[in-house]
Amino acid sequence: MKIAGTAALPFPPERAYDLMQDPVLLAKAIPGCEALEKTGDNEYSLKMKMVLASLSGAFDGKVRLTEPERPHSFRMVVEGSGKIGFMKGDGVLRLTPKGDGGTEVAYDGEAQIGGTMAAVGNRMIDMTARMLIKRFFEKLSVE
Amino acid sequence: MIANAFDYTAPQSLDEALTLIGNGAKPLSGGMSLIPMMKLRLASPEHLVDLGRLKELSYIREQDGELHIGAAITYYELESSTLLLGKCPLIAETATHIGDIQVRNMGTLGGSVAHADPAADYPATLQALEAKIVLRSATGARTLSTKDFFLDTFTTALEPGEIVAEIIVPIEPGLTGTSYQKFRQPASGFAMVGIAARIRQQAGTLSLIRIGVTGLSGSSYRATNVEAALEGKQPTEENIRAASALVGDGVDASADLHASADYRQHLATIYTAKAIRAALSRSA
Amino acid sequence: MATTVTRIEKLVGKRLRRKEDPRLITGTATYVEDIKRPGMQHAVIVRSPHGAANIKGIDTTKAAALPGVSAIFTGKDITHVGSVVCGADLPGLRKPVHHILAQDRVYFVGHPVAVVVASDRYIAADAADLVEVDYDVTQAVTDPEKALAPGAPAVHPEWPDNTAFLYHQTGGDIDKAFADADVIIKQRITSQRLVPNAMETRGVVAEWLQADRALTLFTSTQIPHLARTILAGQLGIDENRFRLIAPEVGGGFGSKLNVYAEEALMGFITMKINKPVKWIESRRENFQVTIQGRGHVDYFELAAKRDGTMLGLRLKLIQDLGAYHQLLTPAIPTLSVLMMPGLYNFRNIDADVVGVFTNCVPTDAYRGAGRPEATHGIERMVDLLAAELNMDPAAIRFKNFVQPDQFPFPTATGLNYDSGDYGATLQKAMDMIGYDDLRKQQAAARAAGRLMGIGISTYGELCAFGPSPATPAGGWESATVRIEPTGKVTVHTGTSPHGQGQETSFAQIAADELGVPMDDIIVLHGDTAIIPYGIGTFGSRNTAVGGPALYYALQDIKEKVKKFGKMLLDAEEVTFENGVCRDPKTGKEITIQTIAGAAYRAMKLPPDTDPGLVATKFWEPSNFAFPFGAHIIVSEVDRDTGEIAIKRYVAVDDIGNQLNPLLVDGQLHGGAAQGLGQALWEQAVYDDNGQLITGEFMDYCMPRARMMPWIESSHTVTPSPVNPLGVKGVGEAGTIGSTPAMVNSVIDALSTLGVRHIDMPLTNEKIWNLVNGAKA
Ligand SMILES: Cc1cc2nc3c(=O)[nH]c(=O)nc-3n(C[C@H](O)[C@H](O)[C@H](O)COP(=O)(O)OP(=O)(O)OC[C@H]3O[C@@H](n4cnc5c(N)ncnc54)[C@H](O)[C@@H]3O)c2cc1C
Repeated sequence: MKIAGTAALPFPPERAYDLMQDPVLLAKAIPGCEALEKTGDNEYSLKMKMVLASLSGAFDGKVRLTEPERPHSFRMVVEGSGKIGFMKGDGVLRLTPKGDGGTEVAYDGEAQIGGTMAAVGNRMIDMTARMLIKRFFEKLSVE
Repeated sequence: MIANAFDYTAPQSLDEALTLIGNGAKPLSGGMSLIPMMKLRLASPEHLVDLGRLKELSYIREQDGELHIGAAITYYELESSTLLLGKCPLIAETATHIGDIQVRNMGTLGGSVAHADPAADYPATLQALEAKIVLRSATGARTLSTKDFFLDTFTTALEPGEIVAEIIVPIEPGLTGTSYQKFRQPASGFAMVGIAARIRQQAGTLSLIRIGVTGLSGSSYRATNVEAALEGKQPTEENIRAASALVGDGVDASADLHASADYRQHLATIYTAKAIRAALSRSA
Repeated sequence: MATTVTRIEKLVGKRLRRKEDPRLITGTATYVEDIKRPGMQHAVIVRSPHGAANIKGIDTTKAAALPGVSAIFTGKDITHVGSVVCGADLPGLRKPVHHILAQDRVYFVGHPVAVVVASDRYIAADAADLVEVDYDVTQAVTDPEKALAPGAPAVHPEWPDNTAFLYHQTGGDIDKAFADADVIIKQRITSQRLVPNAMETRGVVAEWLQADRALTLFTSTQIPHLARTILAGQLGIDENRFRLIAPEVGGGFGSKLNVYAEEALMGFITMKINKPVKWIESRRENFQVTIQGRGHVDYFELAAKRDGTMLGLRLKLIQDLGAYHQLLTPAIPTLSVLMMPGLYNFRNIDADVVGVFTNCVPTDAYRGAGRPEATHGIERMVDLLAAELNMDPAAIRFKNFVQPDQFPFPTATGLNYDSGDYGATLQKAMDMIGYDDLRKQQAAARAAGRLMGIGISTYGELCAFGPSPATPAGGWESATVRIEPTGKVTVHTGTSPHGQGQETSFAQIAADELGVPMDDIIVLHGDTAIIPYGIGTFGSRNTAVGGPALYYALQDIKEKVKKFGKMLLDAEEVTFENGVCRDPKTGKEITIQTIAGAAYRAMKLPPDTDPGLVATKFWEPSNFAFPFGAHIIVSEVDRDTGEIAIKRYVAVDDIGNQLNPLLVDGQLHGGAAQGLGQALWEQAVYDDNGQLITGEFMDYCMPRARMMPWIESSHTVTPSPVNPLGVKGVGEAGTIGSTPAMVNSVIDALSTLGVRHIDMPLTNEKIWNLVNGAKA
């Protein structure tokens, strides 16, 4: 499934870029993130708990940040798996300065879902992905 | 398709229920959304508290010029209530669009509101009615507008320990017509888009226009730009179309197997006009 | 001894309600799920969440530690159990070994990896969650055309081209046909994957009696005897110590014309743990691991003369087989080839079939099995030709039909159509719907900017499987009739009805032949310990093959009844009618009930006659039977939303003689609903990783009652000469006829916008895009 969209951050690109490379802030911004630990260069292990409506599930996974082009773009890969299924998001984030001193972040990538989650509620996946992304940027923008 | 083990309590009173829920138990109403998730093990609550059997949450009554509906009222009770059919027909009509009769016998208004499924029907109707949602917990109660209650996809203002206890809807003022129009997702029957319209028509002029939208995006909303575009206008086909075209402005429309974002946007426009026309035909 | 005989009304041909319904609608029928055995354990299967992966390891320690868990088995435990059987054979067919539990690799989402057995189903499910499987995920391929492309991921690493077989069939002179043609129509036409969705999912209860070395296995199947023979082989046990019972079976539609890994697996488990074991398929498993239907990509080329005469048809057929062969997987597309000429008179065909492995669940027989695909193809091609030549789609059909005086009609594909009058059914359907007037209405609607369509499909079907040489496991059927000492009648049939209603229609046959009341007759089936042997229920064969077997068994028993009658009446000759033997000379009579008692008491026996009243017949048909019909659908497309409204649906079907028109209607209506499901709504959609994303009813659109049009149904009757009842078969006809009528109707509606073809399902958005695109 394709995931693409834009979000606005109220900081100039350099700062926006750095925020998104900062594991402490990422841990705060990734919805449901319970732990994010460095495991290698630009690679982190991730524990998250997703609670959405009555659905709830714990995921173990990793986050990788690659292809750094500060402050223009980088690639982010998030993977997780748990009892209710597994997911993988892989996309490029592009940062462009906006007139108001803020940054527009354009993301473009692919999401994969498997396991029980995949077979139920195709209709929910797109909406949920959008909401999680929205929350991520909302959290970042108050940093 | 077997749930994890869980405890189940059918409390004797609302207070007992609220205490248990305050301690972390999960409310169960009609179970039409929760039980399927549990059977797939996508949800694994440890303790369910059955609100569906509480008389204290099961009523429809008129009070101080408004209609008060207990959270445990089922869709079937809504669609067959003479009180509602007479004084707030939109809320009764909406029930007839939901699922099949088995689902309507079980599913509840409170459950639907609390669940906040982005494709559920009632959120649109409650938006258009400017309903008030009464939340209760073991420690108190508060009343929210739909706007403050429905926050996002499956996300509401409910805090842990709180339940939806009551929905308050207005008694329709005279000269007001209402309608709910829905384009069904063919497999699930949920709303691909659902539009609730509520309009007053007096001497050929429109006022008090309220348009509630569901299905189009991650959350229900009121299409205030459509409302504004019709306010004080005459109910001509041209005006209706022009206003309806605004329904999805600035909305990040959902896309899935069944409909692309563009198609959903388009359907929302068509169905807004449909709902407006139907509401007008019912306004005296 | 004289009794007065009241003339009994003949029951064959009457609209009788089903004898089986009371137990079904009162919830007292016994399905596999209702069977409980002492000490019974419950199995839950751990399945692959990946479309393609290598298994690096399986850790069952946590699961095994859960109290109540009695056993856990993985691939290494079952290597001695025979693999899942494919009964079809084609030259050069590649058959992957299909172990009942995965070995070191999984090939589709749902592939069984381990099985957990516990004292109740809840514990088993909890334990299954605790089994940890370490997968190394590899690239999957789910689209058959992509699977054929060079460099595609290999489903089975040993066959990198993903090709299971190539099959070629030709008849007549195809090159000449195309050389002689004035027009050649080419079209790619798909038939999407469908989920059969029987109301009852599959399920198995297996019980091993160690002391007797005997296995009893209850399973929800359409083929109890064949399943027993196959499973006995897989499990290495004696077939005569193996009782297989198909209790009440809640629908199959071909999905239970199979022998599945889980059946052998439960047999293996009960023998291993020496306790009965039950497995019930969940609805989610049913979507993922029970066979699916269709899965075609077809490239058609039709050669014709400018006057509309069809000359020849070429087909390149790509069959999505899925990851393995189930019982008949590779044979299904060959049925499409057989039916590709449809009802038309041309005798030149050429078909190239390629069977493709994909990382999906196997395809196999689903209501119609190969014939709906062919019919949809040819019926679309005829409409495309009509459009090209600016001819009326009815007129072009009349021009090309095989004519009544041409029967038996040998086709270019080697079939021999038994009987028919194709023009008569189409004409009748046109009269019913008022065709000429409709076309005028359509012209007016078009002038007013409305999108109204009229779609015709004239289908033929090869069914009543079939002569044994043309059927993998034999095509005959058996019946036993036992008149009990009290005169009550027990019928055994080798067919295995599961919704078709043979408990009623076979009782009607027996009632008429023996002159006993319906209520005195019971029809038994589905138990290998009771029924001598049988082939089972599929391919619209119950009535057309099982019916004649019963008819001939009844003739045999009537002869014997008459012998006893003659002896008891002391007559030279007797007649037997309405349950009474009569001496025409003396007028003396004796009832079948009295005769039955005498036959068992055997105080005296007629010459060369044994005691008792039992007859068994194994009947071999000489040919298939070929029902046919014409369906016409009037539809209107909503320009604003792309919604399709079915305004009228007329169906005229010729299924030969009808034993019970009520059952016929039921089969045709249900069939039409399934056919409309394919045309408009249903599709099994896989993503590139092998996930079935329409894996539940929230996303897989099964037709609901409220979506169904009123069907105006009528018939013509052309008896089949193949069997003494003159019946043809009706189980699949509605499904085959409805789909192309629906699609042709919508394409006709959109033809003014320049639309030639649309692939199924005709979703609202697809239609809206076409209308919208045409506007832009
Ligand atoms: C076949 C089918 C078709 C359907 N079609 C439609 C449709 O067309 N349109 C539509 O709108 N809906 C549809 N639904 C969903 C149905 O309306 C559900 O009943 C509704 O969404 C939830 O109501 P419920 O009473 O069943 O809640 P439950 O399933 O019992 O609960 C849902 C969630 O809300 C929580 N909850 C329940 N009550 C309360 C409360 N009072 N306070 C706080 N939290 C609470 C639960 O803990 C749970 O998380 C369908 C459902 C099915 C099974």
